[in-house]
Amino acid sequence: MRKALRDNGLSICFGLLFLAALVGQAFAGRADYNDRQLVEGGAPASLVQYVASGDFAVDLAENWQSEYLQFFLYVFATVWLVQRGSPESKLVGKTGTESDEEQKVGRYATEDSPEWARAGGWRTAVFARSLGAVMGALFMLSWLAQSVAGRSAYNADRLAQLQDPLSWTGYVGSADFWNRTLQNWQSEFLAIGTIVVVSVYLRQRGSPESKPVGDPHDTTQDTG
Amino acid sequence: MFDLVVSGNYAFVWRIVISVACGLAVCWAAAGCGTGQRGEEAEAAADAFVTALAEGDGAAACGLLSPDAAEQLAAEEGKPCEAAVLEQGLPTDSAEETDVWGDRAQVRTGGDVLFLVELAEGWKVVAAGCAPQGERPYECEVEG
Repeated sequence: MRKALRDNGLSICFGLLFLAALVGQAFAGRADYNDRQLVEGGAPASLVQYVASGDFAVDLAENWQSEYLQFFLYVFATVWLVQRGSPESKLVGKTGTESDEEQKVGRYATEDSPEWARAGGWRTAVFARSLGAVMGALFMLSWLAQSVAGRSAYNADRLAQLQDPLSWTGYVGSADFWNRTLQNWQSEFLAIGTIVVVSVYLRQRGSPESKPVGDPHDTTQDTG
Repeated sequence: MFDLVVSGNYAFVWRIVISVACGLAVCWAAAGCGTGQRGEEAEAAADAFVTALAEGDGAAACGLLSPDAAEQLAAEEGKPCEAAVLEQGLPTDSAEETDVWGDRAQVRTGGDVLFLVELAEGWKVVAAGCAPQGERPYECEVEG
Protein backbone atom coordinates (compact mmCIF):
# COMPACT_ATOMS: atom_id res chain seq x y z
CA MET A 1 0.00 0.00 0.00
CA ARG A 2 2.72 2.43 1.03
CA LYS A 3 4.80 1.46 -1.99
CA ALA A 4 1.81 1.92 -4.29
CA LEU A 5 1.20 5.40 -2.85
CA ARG A 6 4.86 6.34 -3.26
CA ASP A 7 5.09 4.98 -6.79
CA ASN A 8 1.93 6.81 -7.88
CA GLY A 9 2.28 9.94 -5.77
CA LEU A 10 2.21 12.38 -8.67
CA SER A 11 -0.92 10.99 -10.32
CA ILE A 12 -2.75 10.51 -7.00
CA CYS A 13 -1.84 14.01 -5.80
CA PHE A 14 -3.04 15.68 -8.99
CA GLY A 15 -6.12 13.44 -9.15
CA LEU A 16 -7.12 14.56 -5.66
CA LEU A 17 -6.30 18.21 -6.40
CA PHE A 18 -8.46 17.95 -9.54
CA LEU A 19 -11.42 16.54 -7.58
CA ALA A 20 -11.08 19.15 -4.81
CA ALA A 21 -10.91 21.99 -7.32
CA LEU A 22 -13.85 20.53 -9.25
CA VAL A 23 -16.01 20.42 -6.10
CA GLY A 24 -14.91 23.97 -5.25
CA GLN A 25 -15.81 25.12 -8.76
CA ALA A 26 -19.27 23.52 -8.44
CA PHE A 27 -20.01 25.41 -5.20
CA ALA A 28 -18.53 28.74 -6.31
CA GLY A 29 -20.09 28.47 -9.77
CA ARG A 30 -23.52 27.75 -8.30
CA ALA A 31 -23.28 30.77 -6.00
CA ASP A 32 -22.31 32.98 -8.95
CA TYR A 33 -25.08 31.51 -11.12
CA ASN A 34 -27.68 32.10 -8.41
CA ASP A 35 -26.53 35.70 -7.99
CA ARG A 36 -27.18 36.25 -11.69
CA GLN A 37 -30.53 34.47 -11.46
CA LEU A 38 -31.55 36.90 -8.75
CA VAL A 39 -30.81 39.86 -11.02
CA GLU A 40 -32.52 38.32 -14.05
CA GLY A 41 -35.65 37.17 -12.21
CA GLY A 42 -34.90 33.45 -12.50
CA ALA A 43 -35.17 30.72 -9.86
CA PRO A 44 -32.06 29.70 -7.88
CA ALA A 45 -30.57 26.31 -8.84
CA SER A 46 -29.74 23.46 -6.48
CA LEU A 47 -26.20 22.08 -6.63
CA VAL A 48 -27.38 19.08 -8.67
CA GLN A 49 -29.32 21.29 -11.09
CA TYR A 50 -26.28 23.54 -11.51
CA VAL A 51 -23.86 20.66 -12.12
CA ALA A 52 -26.21 19.30 -14.82
CA SER A 53 -26.53 22.73 -16.45
CA GLY A 54 -24.83 24.08 -19.55
CA ASP A 55 -23.32 26.89 -17.45
CA PHE A 56 -21.23 24.46 -15.39
CA ALA A 57 -20.41 22.27 -18.38
CA VAL A 58 -19.10 25.09 -20.57
CA ASP A 59 -16.88 26.45 -17.78
CA LEU A 60 -15.46 22.95 -17.38
CA ALA A 61 -15.03 22.14 -21.06
CA GLU A 62 -13.47 25.44 -22.12
CA ASN A 63 -10.64 24.90 -19.65
CA TRP A 64 -10.21 21.22 -20.47
CA GLN A 65 -9.91 21.82 -24.21
CA SER A 66 -7.20 24.42 -23.79
CA GLU A 67 -5.18 22.19 -21.45
CA TYR A 68 -5.34 19.26 -23.87
CA LEU A 69 -4.51 21.58 -26.77
CA GLN A 70 -1.48 22.76 -24.81
CA PHE A 71 -0.15 19.21 -24.39
CA PHE A 72 -1.12 18.17 -27.93
CA LEU A 73 0.79 21.09 -29.44
CA TYR A 74 3.70 20.74 -27.07
CA VAL A 75 4.10 17.02 -27.80
CA PHE A 76 4.19 17.73 -31.55
CA ALA A 77 6.07 21.03 -31.51
CA THR A 78 8.94 19.59 -29.46
CA VAL A 79 9.56 16.98 -32.17
CA TRP A 80 10.55 19.70 -34.63
CA LEU A 81 11.32 22.84 -32.61
CA VAL A 82 14.06 23.22 -30.01
CA GLN A 83 15.07 25.80 -27.42
CA ARG A 84 18.77 25.88 -26.71
CA GLY A 85 19.39 25.67 -22.98
CA SER A 86 15.91 24.46 -22.02
CA PRO A 87 15.39 21.13 -20.24
CA GLU A 88 11.97 21.08 -21.95
CA SER A 89 13.71 20.78 -25.34
CA LYS A 90 15.73 18.05 -26.95
CA LEU A 91 19.21 18.69 -28.30
CA VAL A 92 19.48 21.28 -31.04
CA GLY A 93 20.74 18.83 -33.67
CA LYS A 94 18.14 16.16 -33.02
CA THR A 95 15.01 17.69 -34.53
CA GLY A 96 12.59 15.35 -36.28
CA THR A 97 11.26 11.89 -35.49
CA GLU A 98 14.77 10.38 -35.10
CA SER A 99 16.01 6.97 -36.24
CA ASP A 100 14.47 3.60 -35.31
CA GLU A 101 17.62 2.83 -33.35
CA GLU A 102 17.32 6.00 -31.28
CA GLN A 103 13.62 5.33 -30.74
CA LYS A 104 14.12 1.61 -29.97
CA VAL A 105 11.46 0.40 -32.38
CA GLY A 106 11.23 -2.64 -34.69
CA ARG A 107 14.46 -4.62 -34.66
CA TYR A 108 16.03 -2.12 -32.27
CA ALA A 109 13.38 -2.74 -29.62
CA THR A 110 14.63 -4.17 -26.37
CA GLU A 111 13.14 -7.08 -24.43
CA ASP A 112 11.23 -4.79 -22.13
CA SER A 113 9.96 -2.49 -24.91
CA PRO A 114 6.15 -2.31 -25.16
CA GLU A 115 4.69 -5.01 -27.43
CA TRP A 116 3.53 -2.55 -30.10
CA ALA A 117 7.01 -0.96 -30.26
CA ARG A 118 8.41 -4.41 -31.09
CA ALA A 119 5.63 -5.44 -33.49
CA GLY A 120 6.56 -3.21 -36.42
CA GLY A 121 4.11 -2.26 -39.20
CA TRP A 122 0.93 -0.32 -38.47
CA ARG A 123 0.93 -1.15 -34.76
CA THR A 124 4.31 0.47 -34.20
CA ALA A 125 3.28 3.40 -36.42
CA VAL A 126 0.13 3.95 -34.33
CA PHE A 127 1.91 3.45 -31.00
CA ALA A 128 4.66 5.87 -32.06
CA ARG A 129 2.02 8.61 -32.43
CA SER A 130 -0.37 7.55 -29.66
CA LEU A 131 0.53 10.24 -27.11
CA GLY A 132 -0.08 13.14 -29.46
CA ALA A 133 -3.10 11.44 -31.03
CA VAL A 134 -4.83 10.89 -27.69
CA MET A 135 -4.09 14.45 -26.56
CA GLY A 136 -5.41 15.72 -29.90
CA ALA A 137 -8.56 13.59 -29.61
CA LEU A 138 -9.18 14.75 -26.03
CA PHE A 139 -8.74 18.35 -27.20
CA MET A 140 -11.24 17.93 -30.04
CA LEU A 141 -13.78 16.18 -27.79
CA SER A 142 -13.46 18.84 -25.09
CA TRP A 143 -13.75 21.61 -27.67
CA LEU A 144 -16.85 19.96 -29.13
CA ALA A 145 -18.30 19.66 -25.61
CA GLN A 146 -17.54 23.36 -25.08
CA SER A 147 -19.49 24.24 -28.21
CA VAL A 148 -22.52 22.14 -27.19
CA ALA A 149 -22.61 23.25 -23.55
CA GLY A 150 -21.67 26.83 -24.44
CA ARG A 151 -24.57 27.03 -26.88
CA SER A 152 -26.91 25.82 -24.14
CA ALA A 153 -25.72 28.40 -21.60
CA TYR A 154 -25.54 31.20 -24.19
CA ASN A 155 -29.03 30.51 -25.52
CA ALA A 156 -30.47 30.59 -22.00
CA ASP A 157 -28.85 34.03 -21.58
CA ARG A 158 -30.18 35.17 -24.95
CA LEU A 159 -33.72 34.11 -24.07
CA ALA A 160 -33.44 35.94 -20.76
CA GLN A 161 -32.50 39.05 -22.77
CA LEU A 162 -35.43 38.50 -25.17
CA GLN A 163 -33.26 37.43 -28.11
CA ASP A 164 -33.64 34.44 -30.44
CA PRO A 165 -31.50 31.37 -29.61
CA LEU A 166 -28.65 30.43 -31.97
CA SER A 167 -28.12 27.24 -33.97
CA TRP A 168 -24.96 25.21 -33.25
CA THR A 169 -23.21 26.63 -36.32
CA GLY A 170 -24.39 30.11 -35.35
CA TYR A 171 -22.90 29.65 -31.89
CA VAL A 172 -19.59 28.26 -33.19
CA GLY A 173 -19.24 31.45 -35.25
CA SER A 174 -20.23 33.70 -32.34
CA ALA A 175 -18.08 36.09 -30.34
CA ASP A 176 -18.97 34.22 -27.11
CA PHE A 177 -17.53 30.92 -28.40
CA TRP A 178 -14.30 32.48 -29.68
CA ASN A 179 -13.85 34.73 -26.66
CA ARG A 180 -14.11 31.71 -24.35
CA THR A 181 -11.77 29.73 -26.63
CA LEU A 182 -9.06 32.30 -27.24
CA GLN A 183 -8.87 33.62 -23.69
CA ASN A 184 -7.95 30.08 -22.62
CA TRP A 185 -5.58 29.44 -25.51
CA GLN A 186 -3.54 32.59 -24.96
CA SER A 187 -2.93 31.70 -21.31
CA GLU A 188 -1.75 28.20 -22.23
CA PHE A 189 0.62 29.48 -24.91
CA LEU A 190 1.99 32.07 -22.48
CA ALA A 191 2.57 29.41 -19.80
CA ILE A 192 4.41 27.10 -22.22
CA GLY A 193 6.53 29.91 -23.62
CA THR A 194 7.36 31.05 -20.09
CA ILE A 195 8.51 27.64 -18.80
CA VAL A 196 10.57 26.99 -21.96
CA VAL A 197 12.46 30.29 -21.69
CA VAL A 198 12.65 30.68 -17.91
CA SER A 199 13.94 27.11 -17.42
CA VAL A 200 17.02 28.09 -19.44
CA TYR A 201 18.14 30.49 -16.69
CA LEU A 202 16.40 29.36 -13.50
CA ARG A 203 16.63 26.09 -11.56
CA GLN A 204 14.45 24.06 -9.19
CA ARG A 205 16.65 21.66 -7.31
CA GLY A 206 15.42 18.06 -7.69
CA SER A 207 12.73 18.78 -10.27
CA PRO A 208 12.81 16.92 -13.61
CA GLU A 209 11.30 20.09 -15.10
CA SER A 210 14.58 21.85 -14.30
CA LYS A 211 18.22 21.33 -15.18
CA PRO A 212 20.56 20.37 -12.32
CA VAL A 213 21.33 23.56 -10.37
CA GLY A 214 24.96 23.65 -11.45
CA ASP A 215 24.34 23.07 -15.17
CA PRO A 216 25.39 25.95 -17.45
CA HIS A 217 22.62 27.97 -19.06
CA ASP A 218 23.33 26.63 -22.55
CA THR A 219 22.96 22.97 -21.58
CA THR A 220 19.90 21.51 -23.30
CA GLN A 221 17.88 18.33 -22.54
CA ASP A 222 19.22 17.54 -19.11
CA THR A 223 16.93 17.23 -16.12
CA GLY A 224 17.42 16.77 -12.42
CA MET B 1 -12.10 1.97 -4.08
CA PHE B 2 -8.82 3.62 -3.11
CA ASP B 3 -7.13 0.22 -2.94
CA LEU B 4 -8.37 -0.53 -6.41
CA VAL B 5 -6.86 2.67 -7.75
CA VAL B 6 -3.44 2.24 -6.23
CA SER B 7 -3.25 -1.48 -6.96
CA GLY B 8 -3.66 -0.75 -10.64
CA ASN B 9 -7.13 -2.30 -11.10
CA TYR B 10 -8.78 0.68 -12.75
CA ALA B 11 -11.71 -1.16 -14.37
CA PHE B 12 -14.19 -0.55 -11.53
CA VAL B 13 -13.19 3.09 -11.13
CA TRP B 14 -13.35 3.69 -14.85
CA ARG B 15 -16.84 2.18 -15.05
CA ILE B 16 -18.09 4.65 -12.42
CA VAL B 17 -16.30 7.61 -14.00
CA ILE B 18 -17.57 6.78 -17.49
CA SER B 19 -21.16 6.22 -16.23
CA VAL B 20 -21.24 9.59 -14.47
CA ALA B 21 -19.58 11.34 -17.43
CA CYS B 22 -22.06 9.81 -19.91
CA GLY B 23 -25.03 10.81 -17.72
CA LEU B 24 -23.76 14.38 -17.46
CA ALA B 25 -22.94 14.50 -21.19
CA VAL B 26 -26.52 13.55 -22.05
CA CYS B 27 -27.85 16.26 -19.68
CA TRP B 28 -25.47 18.87 -21.08
CA ALA B 29 -26.17 17.96 -24.72
CA ALA B 30 -29.89 18.32 -24.04
CA ALA B 31 -29.33 21.66 -22.27
CA GLY B 32 -30.51 20.21 -19.00
CA CYS B 33 -32.15 16.96 -17.98
CA GLY B 34 -35.78 16.41 -19.00
CA THR B 35 -35.79 19.07 -21.73
CA GLY B 36 -38.52 17.35 -23.78
CA GLN B 37 -40.98 17.25 -20.91
CA ARG B 38 -40.09 20.75 -19.81
CA GLY B 39 -40.73 21.98 -23.35
CA GLU B 40 -44.25 20.56 -23.17
CA GLU B 41 -44.79 22.23 -19.79
CA ALA B 42 -43.59 25.59 -21.11
CA GLU B 43 -45.86 25.26 -24.14
CA ALA B 44 -48.82 24.34 -21.89
CA ALA B 45 -48.18 27.46 -19.78
CA ALA B 46 -48.07 29.64 -22.91
CA ASP B 47 -51.29 28.06 -24.18
CA ALA B 48 -52.98 28.62 -20.80
CA PHE B 49 -51.90 32.28 -20.96
CA VAL B 50 -53.33 32.95 -24.44
CA THR B 51 -56.48 30.97 -23.58
CA ALA B 52 -57.02 33.16 -20.50
CA LEU B 53 -56.61 36.26 -22.69
CA ALA B 54 -59.05 34.89 -25.29
CA GLU B 55 -61.61 34.21 -22.56
CA GLY B 56 -61.12 37.65 -21.02
CA ASP B 57 -59.91 36.13 -17.75
CA GLY B 58 -57.39 38.78 -16.63
CA ALA B 59 -56.82 37.20 -13.23
CA ALA B 60 -55.82 33.86 -14.78
CA ALA B 61 -53.58 35.61 -17.33
CA CYS B 62 -51.84 37.61 -14.60
CA GLY B 63 -51.39 34.44 -12.58
CA LEU B 64 -49.41 33.06 -15.51
CA LEU B 65 -47.14 36.13 -15.74
CA SER B 66 -43.89 36.19 -13.76
CA PRO B 67 -44.13 38.36 -10.62
CA ASP B 68 -41.79 40.95 -12.19
CA ALA B 69 -43.81 41.13 -15.43
CA ALA B 70 -47.15 41.44 -13.58
CA GLU B 71 -45.75 44.15 -11.30
CA GLN B 72 -44.21 46.13 -14.15
CA LEU B 73 -47.38 45.97 -16.23
CA ALA B 74 -49.51 47.24 -13.35
CA ALA B 75 -47.02 50.03 -12.62
CA GLU B 76 -46.79 51.15 -16.25
CA GLU B 77 -50.55 51.16 -16.82
CA GLY B 78 -51.46 52.54 -13.41
CA LYS B 79 -54.12 49.91 -12.86
CA PRO B 80 -54.32 46.35 -11.54
CA CYS B 81 -52.61 43.72 -13.68
CA GLU B 82 -55.92 41.87 -14.17
CA ALA B 83 -57.37 44.85 -16.04
CA ALA B 84 -54.20 46.05 -17.74
CA VAL B 85 -53.28 42.70 -19.31
CA LEU B 86 -56.58 42.54 -21.21
CA GLU B 87 -56.07 46.03 -22.67
CA GLN B 88 -52.73 45.23 -24.38
CA GLY B 89 -54.33 43.67 -27.46
CA LEU B 90 -52.10 40.61 -27.17
CA PRO B 91 -52.57 37.90 -29.83
CA THR B 92 -54.40 34.78 -28.64
CA ASP B 93 -53.28 32.17 -31.18
CA SER B 94 -52.15 28.85 -29.73
CA ALA B 95 -48.55 27.70 -29.42
CA GLU B 96 -46.83 26.28 -32.49
CA GLU B 97 -43.13 25.96 -31.65
CA THR B 98 -41.21 25.82 -28.38
CA ASP B 99 -37.50 26.19 -27.70
CA VAL B 100 -36.17 25.49 -24.19
CA TRP B 101 -32.66 26.45 -23.04
CA GLY B 102 -31.79 26.11 -19.37
CA ASP B 103 -34.59 27.65 -17.34
CA ARG B 104 -35.77 29.82 -20.25
CA ALA B 105 -38.18 29.12 -23.10
CA GLN B 106 -39.36 30.85 -26.24
CA VAL B 107 -42.82 29.89 -27.52
CA ARG B 108 -43.95 30.98 -30.98
CA THR B 109 -47.72 31.18 -31.42
CA GLY B 110 -49.60 31.96 -34.62
CA GLY B 111 -49.25 35.70 -34.05
CA ASP B 112 -46.80 36.26 -31.20
CA VAL B 113 -43.51 35.30 -29.60
CA LEU B 114 -43.63 34.64 -25.85
CA PHE B 115 -40.66 34.35 -23.49
CA LEU B 116 -40.99 32.24 -20.33
CA VAL B 117 -38.95 31.45 -17.23
CA GLU B 118 -39.18 28.36 -15.06
CA LEU B 119 -39.77 29.40 -11.45
CA ALA B 120 -40.47 27.24 -8.37
CA GLU B 121 -44.21 27.47 -9.09
CA GLY B 122 -43.79 26.45 -12.76
CA TRP B 123 -43.35 28.19 -16.12
CA LYS B 124 -44.32 31.86 -16.15
CA VAL B 125 -44.54 34.36 -19.02
CA VAL B 126 -41.90 37.11 -18.76
CA ALA B 127 -42.64 38.78 -22.09
CA ALA B 128 -45.57 38.77 -24.53
CA GLY B 129 -46.64 40.74 -27.57
CA CYS B 130 -43.06 40.72 -28.82
CA ALA B 131 -41.83 42.10 -32.15
CA PRO B 132 -38.34 41.30 -33.53
CA GLN B 133 -35.80 44.15 -33.82
CA GLY B 134 -33.11 42.46 -35.93
CA GLU B 135 -30.02 41.75 -33.81
CA ARG B 136 -31.43 43.72 -30.89
CA PRO B 137 -33.79 42.20 -28.27
CA TYR B 138 -37.47 41.85 -29.06
CA GLU B 139 -39.68 44.79 -28.09
CA CYS B 140 -42.60 43.49 -26.07
CA GLU B 141 -45.93 44.92 -24.96
CA VAL B 142 -45.65 43.08 -21.65
CA GLU B 143 -42.18 42.61 -20.20
CA GLY B 144 -40.64 42.16 -16.80
